[in-house]
Amino acid sequence: MNSDQVVKGIGALLVLLGVVISLTSWFIFPVCEMHGLFTETKTGMKLPMPCGYTARAETGIGALIVVAGGLLIARSTPETRQAVGVFSLATGVLVVLFPTLLIGMCKLADHPCRQLTLPALEILGVVVIIIGGYLLWKRET
Amino acid sequence: MSNPPDFKFFSLVLQNLKNRPWRNIATVFAFAVIAATLFSSQYLILGAKQSLDSGMSRMGADILVVPEEYAGAGQTVILIGQPNSFFFDNSGFEKISRVAGVAKASSQIYIATLFASCCAAPVQMIAIDQENDFTVSPWLTANPGVRMGKDDMIIGSAIIQNTGNDLMFYGHTFHVVGILDSTGTGIDNSVFVRFEDAYVMADESELKAVKKLTIPPGMVSAVLVKVDPGASTKDVARMIQVQVPGTKTLTPDGLLNAVSGQMSAVTRILYGSTLAVMIVSIPLLGVISAMVARERAREMAIIQALGATKRYIMKLMLAESFSLSIIGGFIGMGAAAVILVGFEDFIASSLKIPFIIPSPLSILVAGGSSLLLVIVSGGIASLYPAILITRSDPYDTIRRGPS
Repeated sequence: MNSDQVVKGIGALLVLLGVVISLTSWFIFPVCEMHGLFTETKTGMKLPMPCGYTARAETGIGALIVVAGGLLIARSTPETRQAVGVFSLATGVLVVLFPTLLIGMCKLADHPCRQLTLPALEILGVVVIIIGGYLLWKRET
Repeated sequence: MSNPPDFKFFSLVLQNLKNRPWRNIATVFAFAVIAATLFSSQYLILGAKQSLDSGMSRMGADILVVPEEYAGAGQTVILIGQPNSFFFDNSGFEKISRVAGVAKASSQIYIATLFASCCAAPVQMIAIDQENDFTVSPWLTANPGVRMGKDDMIIGSAIIQNTGNDLMFYGHTFHVVGILDSTGTGIDNSVFVRFEDAYVMADESELKAVKKLTIPPGMVSAVLVKVDPGASTKDVARMIQVQVPGTKTLTPDGLLNAVSGQMSAVTRILYGSTLAVMIVSIPLLGVISAMVARERAREMAIIQALGATKRYIMKLMLAESFSLSIIGGFIGMGAAAVILVGFEDFIASSLKIPFIIPSPLSILVAGGSSLLLVIVSGGIASLYPAILITRSDPYDTIRRGPS
């Protein structure tokens, strides 16, 4: 396999990861609201729990990762690798930070979002960060 | 022919591995699966055992006495913290204190709290008798700055709340003054309050809570027993059951047996799949190695003709196999560790077992033994082809040409 094929393969992997990140919170390891768990206000209105907002943010970030992966498949020049590398690093960090610090998940340890969605997003985020790092490392070759 | 050729051994191994990437990826994958299943089984068993040890030492008790009909419920409170409420006559407590071999006894009341929303959740509330307690008191002694006063509460590590915040149960507000260390058992999902505050909460619940809480006067849920040094826990537990009819005693050994029983299906599946993968993959790898040995017979013969000894050729082939098994072993164990650590809470709650990340030394032992087995498997798979190659005559092999 030559370097161009490897980079296109990484682009395809990024597209796949982006799709998985977008779908994880809703279908693969669904957050609490998909299990019928909501926060109810005194007026009886049902609002998403914190994990619901994290899920929405992750869907957006996942879509951006798909675009970055597509860009790498379409043009695998050193400049594109560098740009997609930096972008992947940043989005990977956000994939991890949304459920842990920026928005968070439910406070209960036995909620599905804490048991399944959170670790899955953390692992996926770290994989995206590693790919970003690799693209930056191999940007010239 | 006696001196080994001037080849760099490791660069030759690396070059040979690079030449057949797809076959090597498949081999690495087989070794990774063996290592991952072996490592996972040991990790789960060690995690459950160490969690139980740490949970019982947190409770500070050698024996837990519960009403006979609630033995199962008492067990789940300790093991997984499934909220429960049950009571028995406190006069049993007096009798237990008088049983020979009992050094110290302390009663507790278990209250299952109500589910309200994200922040007031169903957890196990454990009311302690502060005068005789040995569950929270050692922690308070170790944390001299913390005092447990009126409406104060100490929470388990799985209750996500910060010290200084308030938590409401049955309409009664408690102030969090401390967070216990993680044990992996039900204690992590429990909150500890004083007897006095629990009774006030129950009295107020009719007006303040959606459901009234009743704590029958003179009743407790469990009695924790510390056994005299030198006395047998098993004997004292039996004596308690005889002298205080209607009670059931839970001991660490008994709880460990229960956990082992719950885990046996999973460990059997893991060990079974490891065995199945090994049974299928070792002969398969052997066949692949034999095919490759045939392919590489000329290459090896040329290396021999250049001065390599049979021993050198054998070492070269085994080193290739060991390298693949080590790489596969590390990848398999790494992937297993990421999943086991990441999904720790889910695994523990699905298997209904107490679970904590095992100590680094135990992880090292589990990893080392898994890696050793994978390396041995790799060695066995490549031994026959290596012998086959070294037995063939290099001159004949070169003359015959590629087969």
